[in-house]
Amino acid sequence: MTRLRAEGLTLGYDDRPIVRDLDVSVLDGKVTAIVGANACGKSTLLRGLARLLAPRAGTVLLDGKSVSDLSTLDVAKVLGLLPQSPVAPDGITVADLVSRGRYPHQGWFRRWTESDHDAVARALEATGTADLMDRPLRQLSGGQRQRVWVAMALAQDTDLLLLDEPTTFLDIAHQVDLLRLLRKLNADAGKTIVVVLHDLNLACRFCDHIIAMADGAIVAEGPPTEVVTATLVEKVFGLTCVVVPDPVAGTPMVVPAED
Amino acid sequence: MTTTAVALRATRRSRSLRSVTVTAALAAAAFALFVFTMMAGSMRLTAGEVIGSVLYLRDDPSVDFVVRGLRLPTAATACAVGLALGASGTIFQQLLRNPLASPDFVGITWGASLAAVTGIVVLQVGGLAVSGLALGGALLAAILMYLLAWRDGVSGYRFILIGIGVAVFFEGLIGYMLTRAHLFEARQAMHWMTGSVGQANGDELRLLVLALIVLLPLAMLLQRQLRALELGDDAARALGTRTEASRAALLAVAVTLVALAVAAAGPIVFVALVAGPIANRLLGPAGGGIPAAALAGAVLMLTADLVAVHLMPTPLPTGVVTGAVGAPYLLWLLATTNRQGAGG
Repeated sequence: MTRLRAEGLTLGYDDRPIVRDLDVSVLDGKVTAIVGANACGKSTLLRGLARLLAPRAGTVLLDGKSVSDLSTLDVAKVLGLLPQSPVAPDGITVADLVSRGRYPHQGWFRRWTESDHDAVARALEATGTADLMDRPLRQLSGGQRQRVWVAMALAQDTDLLLLDEPTTFLDIAHQVDLLRLLRKLNADAGKTIVVVLHDLNLACRFCDHIIAMADGAIVAEGPPTEVVTATLVEKVFGLTCVVVPDPVAGTPMVVPAED
Repeated sequence: MTTTAVALRATRRSRSLRSVTVTAALAAAAFALFVFTMMAGSMRLTAGEVIGSVLYLRDDPSVDFVVRGLRLPTAATACAVGLALGASGTIFQQLLRNPLASPDFVGITWGASLAAVTGIVVLQVGGLAVSGLALGGALLAAILMYLLAWRDGVSGYRFILIGIGVAVFFEGLIGYMLTRAHLFEARQAMHWMTGSVGQANGDELRLLVLALIVLLPLAMLLQRQLRALELGDDAARALGTRTEASRAALLAVAVTLVALAVAAAGPIVFVALVAGPIANRLLGPAGGGIPAAALAGAVLMLTADLVAVHLMPTPLPTGVVTGAVGAPYLLWLLATTNRQGAGG
């Protein structure tokens, strides 16, 4: 069963198609990583799936209905997205920012209810940012800030959560920390998660399913142990390498070959 | 209920209490200044006399003449222009995510001025025709800015720099219009250009007040969309905002308010720039309340008018006072935004 899928999806900016005629299904209840070299179209695909980019051709289907036929507010109740570089208003506090995730559940005149409160409190607790509630976002470390943004997306209370390169500006410890958080959200709340990642080793270690892209097309798809091979890495990243099992988890680990 | 939920409730409650208190205090200050403006002058009046006359509660021809005939139009203009500029300024600043992005800095005010001056000097019109022209000029400037700077998304200083360019271009054209004018019209236009609340005629004022009655509540309804748009277009869209429609609606509100304010009182500078930040300072970080900013604008305008008319050796146009107060703030803003990295 798959709630979110795309058929014949072509996406692009201006006249340049970046993703061409692509079919993809997001597995329910799993953590999926989209990986690939820079400019391969992985973020574009994610933005297309989250209806931030209107398709040139093809459709994105959510629960069997075309996303373009659904009201954007209804989509926002099911599908959340953390963009690559969201902007925080100057001086905003953590509680204020996370509360803004409740937008799709409020209306012109119905502003703030108990269920909004509970959802924001749950999001703060799940991300371990409850203690930071009254702090200005600006004062937090990069890792804490990213957790707060995840909390905002969580407050939206959607079954599907898409994240566009959430680990890019984090150091290795915080990258791992964030991916563990995503795993926890998947395990505890059963959320379906799709995440664009740069680091193939981390993707293999923390994700159930890998979608490898090159030149706007999907090159391989499946569980990390089946998909990630030296041939694939060569094809997707142009890197000659050896793939060995991760000494801790046994998942594939990419080690660059000698020159 | 978890401790987080309890703490969250407390935080929210204190925030909304603060917001209500600040807005009420600003409203009280604006009202007090509004009445006080009408009390001061060569004929001193009591607050009771002023209020009684404005509300038609008593009949005293000499007081009525001074209050209703002379002082009420000026005070009402100052108040309405302040409300309009404050609301418009904070909407622009939040939409463009930049404290420098008030309508006087992104060229909108000058588009309205150019059209109005052209109307005064060349077509020799007054009243509603000037309002109409100012509105047209402001919309034209907004569209021009949109085409030049906004197509690929707002990027910090780019918008401001283009706005300053557009403003200078319009000011050049205004200068050219003035050289073409006869002495009488040129003087009239120059006075108008400095910005003064004493010059509004009844029609312009009534139109502005009508616009405020319709547009301020609309702006408050759109505040929710504005709060989402502040997070960037992608985040706003992911939250379910119809970004283009919301932004167009907010811009239309802000542009209309500033255009009608300019039509009534000329291009009063700096009020739109400082009203929002003052309100935010009182509301707490990222408050962004449009009513509070509008009221802060009214307080500023009424104060500037009091200073300009009563505290100076000779009465000055209001714009001179707001300029004198606003310029140091602008310098401070320019000096500090870069340090915070918030300017772009």
